[in-house]
Amino acid sequence: MKITALLVLKAAPETTDPVILANASDVSHFGYFQRSSVKEFVVFVGRTVASRTPPSQRQSVQHEEYKVHAYNRNGLCAVGFMDDHYPVRSAFSLLNQVIDEYHKSFGETWRSAKEDSAQPWPYLADALTKFQDPAEADKLLKIQRELDETKIILHKTIDSVLARGEKLDSLVEKSSDLSMASQMFYKQAKKTNSCCTIL
Amino acid sequence: MQARHGQSSYRDRTDEFFGVVESRRRSIAPAAENNVPYGGGGRREDPRSAAANQSEFSKRASLIGLAIHQTSQKLSKLAQLAKRSSVFDDPTREIQELTVVIKQEISGLNGALLDLQAVRNSHNDESNISRDTTTHSATVVDDLKNRLMDTTKEFKDVLTLRTENMKIQEDRMKKFSKISSKESANPFVRQRPLASKPSPSQPAPLPWANGSSSSSSSSQIVPSRQGEAESSPLLQQSQQQQQQMVPLQDTYMQSRAEALHNVESTIHELGNIFTQLATMVSQQGEIAIRIDQNMEDTLANVEGAQSQLARYLNSISSNRWLMIKIFFVLIAFLMVFLFFVAWSKFRDWVDKMEHVLAYKAATQERSIC
Repeated sequence: MKITALLVLKAAPETTDPVILANASDVSHFGYFQRSSVKEFVVFVGRTVASRTPPSQRQSVQHEEYKVHAYNRNGLCAVGFMDDHYPVRSAFSLLNQVIDEYHKSFGETWRSAKEDSAQPWPYLADALTKFQDPAEADKLLKIQRELDETKIILHKTIDSVLARGEKLDSLVEKSSDLSMASQMFYKQAKKTNSCCTIL
Repeated sequence: MQARHGQSSYRDRTDEFFGVVESRRRSIAPAAENNVPYGGGGRREDPRSAAANQSEFSKRASLIGLAIHQTSQKLSKLAQLAKRSSVFDDPTREIQELTVVIKQEISGLNGALLDLQAVRNSHNDESNISRDTTTHSATVVDDLKNRLMDTTKEFKDVLTLRTENMKIQEDRMKKFSKISSKESANPFVRQRPLASKPSPSQPAPLPWANGSSSSSSSSQIVPSRQGEAESSPLLQQSQQQQQQMVPLQDTYMQSRAEALHNVESTIHELGNIFTQLATMVSQQGEIAIRIDQNMEDTLANVEGAQSQLARYLNSISSNRWLMIKIFFVLIAFLMVFLFFVAWSKFRDWVDKMEHVLAYKAATQERSIC
């Protein structure tokens, strides 16, 4: 369940390479010497996939042990590198969010970008760390998870209610026995009292 | 290979054969055996007309041997192709063609071998040939048959290998590509839309081995991007890309719809569970009320019994006054009883005293008189 990198690119028309607008990657689990090459690899594959994604389309490519998800919306393309366990839906909703954020923060300025922008975009880095857990990205997943938890709790509740029912049944038995016994007791007392007052 | 090895062993005997031929020629006897360089012996046999039968036999045998050799060569090429079995550059068409050709050749060779055998038998029947000739021709035919059998076996093995590889490929493609793999089942379509096709067959470079991966992927990508090269595969590829894009979009939407359905059904179930919970709790509420009533009854009974006992206790404790009364009554009776007894006894005593006094008075009178 890991996101390795998130990229935002400007998907150029078919003949040119896409331009990288923002890049955030988490290479902490690679060895120190491989980190830069992993970053390059991320950049390159991201460019390739983005250039292959037609507009208003989503795509998932399996590249060795990574799944690369790309979402192209009107020329702005978001690419995410996730491992195989990350659910596809959450990935795409995450990409959706990223693109919306980008629109909000940068408006239309990206259209004029011609070279890879080197400034990091803090939102992307935050998003990378925040959305390592797919439930954060995908509301549906979160809701589903919470509902499942609630269901479990309810099952436990029902079990305890059943146990309570059993205890109540035993209580009812005992209380009816008690009332019988007390009745007998009363009758006996009355009997001894009402009998003759000899001595 | 086998043929080559056979050829070398046969070739060794060519000189021997020549010597024998010369000696025989000198002795004007029909030519002797050809311990058969199949490649060259057939040609040598031709000029000798006296050995026409034999030469025909050996010619045919040599032809068959050559054909077998060629077939086994083709078979080895086919085996190589089948073993290659990378996901890209699938030489399916070539493999198919080659398979067909090899099959035809093998069946042709089978027929030719049968003909050869028939010829040999007919020759044996017609002319009286020496025993050696018979055995030799029999051996030759058997050898050819064995070779053909081996070739056929190899062919079968290669075909099995090929089917296994195809199965593995299909599995791999199904595993990696989420897109419909129906196209993969059609082996005649070159289907490598690179954007959506997985690339697990890259000769396993590390993901960060930038040079090799970039070179290999660029080498794969660049040919497809070259519009000049093959336009039709490109069209096909883009079509398939399109076909596989739309299903992906649908897949995404479908998965969202499915997730929503799941959520809705979960909520429904939760509602059910809550209803059941409420039913159970209300039933148990009734039970609780019954218990409460029972307890109240018990309480009333016990209180009543306690009051009775209290009264009883009172009555027992206040009885002493009554007892005194009874005691007095008893004493009264005793007195009465005693009184009566004493009265009767007193009367008896009084009577006795009177009697005694009368007696005394009588005795006194007697004494005076």
